[in-house]
Amino acid sequence: MSGEPLAQGAPRRGGSLRGAGPLRRGDAPADLGFTGVPTTQDGGADTMRPGALRGAARGRNLDGLAHTLFLRLSPVIAAVVLTTQVVIAWVNYGDQIRLSGERAQLMADMTARALAHPGWTTDYARPLQAVGLDPAFRYAVLRDASGNVVARLGEEPRGRNFERIQVSAEIDPGTAAQPAGSLTLVLSAEDLRANAEKQFVMVLGASLVLMLAFALALRLAVGRHVLVPLRRLLSAMGQVEHKEWVTVDLAGRRRPSREIADISAAFNRMVEGLRSGDEARNLLAELERTHARLAEANGLVMESLGYARRIQQAVLPGPDATLGEAGFEVAVLWEPLHVVGGDYYWIEEIDGLAIVVVADCTGHGVPGAFLTLIVATALDRILHDRGLRRPDEILAVLDGVVRTRLRQDGTASDGSDDGLDCGICVVDRANDTLDFAGAGLALTVLAEGETTRVKGRRHGLGYRRTGREEPFAAIRLPLRDGQTFFLMTDGVSDQMGGPSRRLLGHRGVAEILRRHRRLSLAEQVSALEAALAAHRGPEPRRDDMALVAFRPRSG
Amino acid sequence: MDRIQIPATSRSPLVDFDFPAGRLLLRGESYPEDAAAFYGPLLQALRACLEEEATPLTFEVALSYFNSSSAKALMNLFMPLEEAAEEGRAVTIRWLYAEGDDTIAEAGEDFAADFSHAQFEMVQETTA
Repeated sequence: MSGEPLAQGAPRRGGSLRGAGPLRRGDAPADLGFTGVPTTQDGGADTMRPGALRGAARGRNLDGLAHTLFLRLSPVIAAVVLTTQVVIAWVNYGDQIRLSGERAQLMADMTARALAHPGWTTDYARPLQAVGLDPAFRYAVLRDASGNVVARLGEEPRGRNFERIQVSAEIDPGTAAQPAGSLTLVLSAEDLRANAEKQFVMVLGASLVLMLAFALALRLAVGRHVLVPLRRLLSAMGQVEHKEWVTVDLAGRRRPSREIADISAAFNRMVEGLRSGDEARNLLAELERTHARLAEANGLVMESLGYARRIQQAVLPGPDATLGEAGFEVAVLWEPLHVVGGDYYWIEEIDGLAIVVVADCTGHGVPGAFLTLIVATALDRILHDRGLRRPDEILAVLDGVVRTRLRQDGTASDGSDDGLDCGICVVDRANDTLDFAGAGLALTVLAEGETTRVKGRRHGLGYRRTGREEPFAAIRLPLRDGQTFFLMTDGVSDQMGGPSRRLLGHRGVAEILRRHRRLSLAEQVSALEAALAAHRGPEPRRDDMALVAFRPRSG
Repeated sequence: MDRIQIPATSRSPLVDFDFPAGRLLLRGESYPEDAAAFYGPLLQALRACLEEEATPLTFEVALSYFNSSSAKALMNLFMPLEEAAEEGRAVTIRWLYAEGDDTIAEAGEDFAADFSHAQFEMVQETTA
């Protein structure tokens, strides 16, 4: 647009009121129409950023609009004012002419009457001179009845007829028998014409002043109440387009028109909406990034834990640890809370003895798993290197190993205060005896539909000494057919749930075991697991679970 | 000694150790990931309180579940109380358990066995 050469003769934008006046009316339709109004950007360039809203505001910038408005209105107003004034002037002029004519006729009549005496053809000077005193007087001629000129006064006028008023009056013969004749009087109308012209010029001047005032007032008003607020709006829109959330405050001296004030208010609301939407989007994006980072971190941790679980499972007895040769049916439930855990079990047949150990190390997850490795190493040494077979002895040595390993016998107050609950069964099929020793972990015996709980000592293994620990003691139980033995960690019975949101407890577990006592051992353990899940409902598990069940094969 | 108040979370109990009034309270469930970190400051505060004053103390424990680390931490809290009772201070442990909650009742009985000087009360709470 800006590169387009301006049409020759077209008024430049910013050329103020050029071409606006009534005298230029003839130019207006051709040169000042819409098409001719330049739409240069010189006024808008400072408010319009490149690319900003150009499409929406294309066509005519705001100054151009006001200009056009002015150009279209002013000729009409000028024409109306001018025509009205000209008509008035013309009517006035006609009236003046008519009045002057009547006056001239009166003068002529009066003079004719004054002359009407018998000797007027010679005695005419005075009345005629009296006529000649009139300022508008130009020429008078007296003629007798036969048309011969009796007397003349002034110069015979030449030139245009409309600049004079010519009247004539008959001199009647009348009763005094004066000779008949006529008086022709010519008065000047130049003054009237000059008056009319003066009036016309004044009207023209007044119209021009009026137009000027109108144009200035319009420009000022449009500029102050429309253009300036609109420019500020446009500038704000440009900023908003670049995500600078500015609002427009149009209060103050340059009060905008109500429509623009409404638009500004709507614009401000829109900016607020966009701003909050943008902030929400940013927050969401930030949240998504954080979430992705967390997911990645979690993925790494879970991967690592999965690896740790494989190691922990390798340390646990394999599926071939069945005590089959010792004549036992065995079922195991081992379910850490967090992939790896602090629950541990040991199943081994040594020298014809079936040895079952279940341990619950403090904590779960990785810290618990660390402790299970200590227990595994210790048990290996106790059972294989030292060849201990009495459960109370095994517990005592295990207690010592854990304390030594975790440096709990020192006086350092920052040392570990960790430990484990442990239950050990050593079953001798040859003599049909079961020796049990427990430290914080009980043996559950299910026989003939009844469950019995055989508790060991209350305190677990490890931990810093309190001086209240009871000695380890083993309990010998006779082995009979139809008995099933369970060693389980407290994670099995500590299942929060049920209608009263309470721990299931040993009695709850025992009841479940009794209910499913006729099933095979593996099925019984599966049924227990399902019943535990049912008791929990939506509650999460609280702890690792480990359970080893074994029953002597009959016959 | 200032009062210690910690709101309950899903894994840790409400703590209200009002030392000036001589009333200590634990209520809720206790299985924090690091029980030592949670109970350590409480134990220190309790020890400091026992050294400072000789007013009667009542410790209410109303836990519906606690893991073995928390059990150990509880024992660590109970020991100085029992020692203080042995030295002549009036100490009452109130072990609150829900009606029919055998596990918690049993655990309370186990703890009770450790006390010979402090008074250990088993209090059954009837569920509304």
